[in-house]
Amino acid sequence: MCSGRVDLKYVLRAFSNGIDGVFIGGCRFNECNYSTHGNYHALNMVLLCKKIMEHIGLNPERLRFEVMSGSEGNLFAEVVDDFVKKVKGLGPLGKGEGIGGNELKLKLGEVTKLVPYIKMVNQEKLGSRLENPEEYDGFFTSDEIDKLFSDVVSYYIDPDKCQACMLCARRCPAEAIISAKNQIHVIDQEKCIKCGTCFEACPPRFSAVTKISGEPVPPPIPEEQRTIVRKSKEKMREAALSID
Amino acid sequence: MENVISLKENIQQLRKNPGDGNFGDVMVVGGGISGIQASLDLAAAGFKVYLVEKAPTIGGHMAQLDKTFPTNDCST
Amino acid sequence: MVEVGRHPNIEVLSYTEVNSVEGEAGNFKVTLTKKPRYILEDKCTGCTTCVEYCPVQYPDQYNQEISKNKAVHIYFAQAIPLITYIDESCLYLKEKKCRICEAVCKNNAIDFNQAPEKVEIDVGAIILSPGIEPFDPKVREEYRYGQFVNVVTSMDYERLLSSTGPYGGEILRTSDKKHPHNVAWIQCVGSRQVIEGGNSYCSAVCCTYTQKQAILTKDHDAEAKCTIFHNDVRSYGKDFERYYQRTENLPGIRFFRSYTSIVKEDPVTKNVTVRYSTPDDGVKEEEFDMVVLSVGLNPPADVKDIAKKFGIELNSHNFCKLDLVNPIITNRPGIFVSGGLQGPIDIPESVFGASGASSQIGELLDYRRGNLAKERIYPPEQDVSQEEPKVGVFVCHCGANIGRIVNVPETVEYCKTLPNVVYAQEQLFSCAINSAKEITDKIKEKGLNRVVVAACSPRTLEPLFRDTLREAGINQYYYEMANIREHNSWVHQKEKEEATEKAHDIIRMSVARACQLEPLQEFDLPVNKAALVVGGGIAGMTSALSMANQGHEAYLIEKDSDLGGIARKIHTTLEGLDVQAYLRDLAGKIYKHPLIHVYTDATITEAKGYVGNFVTTVKSDRGITEIKHGAAVIAIGAELYTPTEYLYGQDERVMTHLELEEKIVSGDEKVAKAQSLVMIQCVGCRNEDRNYCSRICCSESIKNALLLKEKNPAMDIYILFRDIRTYGFKEDYYREAASKDVKFIRYEPHDKPQVEAAENEEGRPVLRVTVTDYVLGKKLEIDADIIALAAAVIPSAVTNEIAGLFKVNLSPDGFFKEAHVKLRPVEFGTDGIYLCGMAHYPKYIPETINQAYGAAGRALTLLSHDTVIASGSVCEVAEKKCMGCGACISACIYGAIELRETRQGKKAVVNPVLCKGDGLCNAKCPTGAISLKHFTDEELLSQIDAVVPEEEILQQIDAAVGDV
Repeated sequence: MCSGRVDLKYVLRAFSNGIDGVFIGGCRFNECNYSTHGNYHALNMVLLCKKIMEHIGLNPERLRFEVMSGSEGNLFAEVVDDFVKKVKGLGPLGKGEGIGGNELKLKLGEVTKLVPYIKMVNQEKLGSRLENPEEYDGFFTSDEIDKLFSDVVSYYIDPDKCQACMLCARRCPAEAIISAKNQIHVIDQEKCIKCGTCFEACPPRFSAVTKISGEPVPPPIPEEQRTIVRKSKEKMREAALSID
Repeated sequence: MENVISLKENIQQLRKNPGDGNFGDVMVVGGGISGIQASLDLAAAGFKVYLVEKAPTIGGHMAQLDKTFPTNDCST
Repeated sequence: MVEVGRHPNIEVLSYTEVNSVEGEAGNFKVTLTKKPRYILEDKCTGCTTCVEYCPVQYPDQYNQEISKNKAVHIYFAQAIPLITYIDESCLYLKEKKCRICEAVCKNNAIDFNQAPEKVEIDVGAIILSPGIEPFDPKVREEYRYGQFVNVVTSMDYERLLSSTGPYGGEILRTSDKKHPHNVAWIQCVGSRQVIEGGNSYCSAVCCTYTQKQAILTKDHDAEAKCTIFHNDVRSYGKDFERYYQRTENLPGIRFFRSYTSIVKEDPVTKNVTVRYSTPDDGVKEEEFDMVVLSVGLNPPADVKDIAKKFGIELNSHNFCKLDLVNPIITNRPGIFVSGGLQGPIDIPESVFGASGASSQIGELLDYRRGNLAKERIYPPEQDVSQEEPKVGVFVCHCGANIGRIVNVPETVEYCKTLPNVVYAQEQLFSCAINSAKEITDKIKEKGLNRVVVAACSPRTLEPLFRDTLREAGINQYYYEMANIREHNSWVHQKEKEEATEKAHDIIRMSVARACQLEPLQEFDLPVNKAALVVGGGIAGMTSALSMANQGHEAYLIEKDSDLGGIARKIHTTLEGLDVQAYLRDLAGKIYKHPLIHVYTDATITEAKGYVGNFVTTVKSDRGITEIKHGAAVIAIGAELYTPTEYLYGQDERVMTHLELEEKIVSGDEKVAKAQSLVMIQCVGCRNEDRNYCSRICCSESIKNALLLKEKNPAMDIYILFRDIRTYGFKEDYYREAASKDVKFIRYEPHDKPQVEAAENEEGRPVLRVTVTDYVLGKKLEIDADIIALAAAVIPSAVTNEIAGLFKVNLSPDGFFKEAHVKLRPVEFGTDGIYLCGMAHYPKYIPETINQAYGAAGRALTLLSHDTVIASGSVCEVAEKKCMGCGACISACIYGAIELRETRQGKKAVVNPVLCKGDGLCNAKCPTGAISLKHFTDEELLSQIDAVVPEEEILQQIDAAVGDV
């Protein structure tokens, strides 16, 4: 397994489980025995994750990425000793930072939920490879991460515009759209991964899906009001009534 | 051509005779990087190889090198 | 190396010498002597308990005798076979006492009754690859090796650098165990010298290995000062020039072009003083903490004995006498040579020479291929995927390696408490044959469907245990290995309790993952037996012919209307081969061969497919052809740079070295009658545009100079050079040219020679060359009748196009990039595509032929099979979850993923044949739609979740709630 396979969500999961430090070891840079150089991907992920940790108030030094070759057992031992010392010095996760256990859990849960979104926004950077590891100074900035979180988008289906055509629901990769025939669709914000597939899928003539940024998502329309009343039918009914 | 045929029979004869296990296709003398590569290629191409090394292990001098140029990869 | 140890078709006879060789090609009878290692090979498991108890300490040969080892020991940590041997320093062997090892070995593997054993084997062919011997500087007293303690050889230094070395990776001086901060290297020790005990040839690798050692020294100690005393710096290999610059640009590294002598050792500090000369300040002396002798390569010490036993001829330097064309054959048919015995060569040449030897043996023994090869047969696999996980755990003692630290019986009891574990037991050595059998039996008896072996690193033994599962009819991917040796007992020797606890943790994680494992199928892809060879020069023809001679159809694609490539412009080699005659002969064989199909004036318009199954469309004089083939060899050669400097193209007296050769051979009057001729080296390369050395031009110019001197000894010939890079045996011709009064004048890149048309004193029109002579320290003016430019070798114009078609990579200099510079020099990262000749890098004809056979040899390892096995651990897309964003596609450098239009929009699809299982795409996928089998999110997350036992998490949560 290449170090580039290590997923952002794995690191977050470890911290969510109360692990005090996470160490990722990779091959030396530019010595890839294949031609993938995935250790750069790992580095990118780690740099991003460190900034996210900062953002939620965790000490980024709880995460470390080091590169070494298979013959450097001594170096490995040295680095691990050093890391363990460091983490011990930082104290238990959360406590060392002065964040309550519940608050931390909540924050980590929130970030974990946003992993798909974070990956989408940073797709290009996560897969890039700069020539020198030194060039990575300031690869991700705190401002950038703050903005990432403040600008988080949500998607909302306007009940007045939704025609219950099922297109968005069928396409949704997270099965986050509650839908049925003649039932106004509703996005389950808990499940939604903010990929925008529904936004793309909704036919332009309906434009029922809206992208919301920086303000709260309106509450979903109550279940009993979801049955759709077709305008044409309504008119027919009105016409029928008038005949009566 | 006749030679070849008789040899083929010879081999089949030998294969039938389980007592004689010392029949191979190729002997590689020297288990350094070159000998190892040759043995692997021959074995993968369907030949039975004896790799003879006078030291207690294969590996040769390359196993003593720390890194190799120009990529500074490790060598073992 | 590990592969050799496990290959069913390779029998390793270590500690064995060859006595005699009788017979002929196809039928050799060889007598061998197996030396007693006093260890029963099939019983020893390499646990090294005996080594610990052995009381004898003596200098370790592997560590250049700098550190100590025991009388019974494993040669080095990665040895194959990974078993001990007892050498002559043993007390029992010397004095009949001790036998401690016998007492401590739990597997009864020690046998002091062993005696030398005679073995006879019958083989059809022999490859000689006995390697090289480092030059021993003790033969020349002036190097002070063995006399001054801080004078070491480069081999010694190599061990000092290594983390498995005598000081565990610390560079220390033997005299005071302190770090040397000021280190000097002296080049050409035992090379390029016509003196008693020295070698006249150039050892070809020392310049670059010294640079490597300097870089690594700086890695160890950023403040270190490194000084390299050198003659010419011979960075002639691929990427070597850049490496040279990288070294030169490091702070604190100095290169001095100077002869040196080691003068004295400080009696107190043991520092070493070196005397050298500088152009500006004359002779100087300087003190260093350590002096490294960059020793050259000698033939093996017993080379004469080898020559006699095998009946092969040696050259004047005591290496194998090589054929002018084919550097792999010897004078005795059926005996081939590869590696260091060919001459002083670098690792890649050793590797492709080996593959080349294998291809030539394939030609010789094709009729008996596969007759003796073994294949294993397994029982049919049961489908257990619907069953609940039933995990069996086997905890290995590894002799005392694990058992002495980790409480194994207690760990076994712990395993039984883990969810889904239905069986657990301990084993003394899980890797022993009887233990593997035990695992197979328990699987059947207890109905296990998942197996965890808690032992050592999966790197060495996972294949064995996977095999064990297959023997029991269980899918091999249901196996999981917990490493409680390298990751645990070996590093926590003093913390037994904690180590036992850690073993629990490691096993718990493995069990959690094992429960999530899925059965995977490795699938067989059919292999089309034909090969496509792109390029009809010497490389392409040689490789096509070798494959065709082993019964494979070869399609040879040439863009010109004639075969031959750049070699058509070359008439002789430095060693005297008639190139044109050779070319005619080779092309004749190609055209006559029933299995070779030649397409001339051909271009490739499309290349599709994957290993074993390529389809390439060729437009040629035969029309448009679609060719199906299993392998492809890229041998498109290289071109010559057209100079724009030194009046080339403006004055017909200025020509390239190849044009000069043509005119010498055709007897051109102007050349034949020239009184004075100047050759300028490094035209168009070793500069900013082309930052590499073209490797062959020094010899090309010297060849032309020698040809001219032969016809007209009175001709004044000047070679203006930067470094003369006549590596290997070519050094002899450099010396010959100098002795025939060819004048060599070095110039610096910032002060290039100037050329102008002028008239000499007699009013004869000449080309006036102005150059600074650094030895004399003044400007020289040379009036020349002819100027020959050593024009660079540049990548073929179609390189980019071909790279795009076959989806292979290029190196920074624009030549094709091999899969691994040292270990896979004739392959690409893309399976089924091979590389040889100048398309890889400039090289001489014999080197090209060596590599062309190498490419054929590697291709045969694929083509000789009916199917190729693709790993089961590849990526797969859950279509529903895919949002078609393409993040995976940009992460995949193998081009294994593409988007396909479906009714639900664009969806990613993986071609499992191209997927290499690195999983980078997984980490990029926002929705978790793409997943690498055997390393899925579920499998890895379950492992992460098991790091902390569930009870502990619950406790923590309680505690956290308490906080609030």
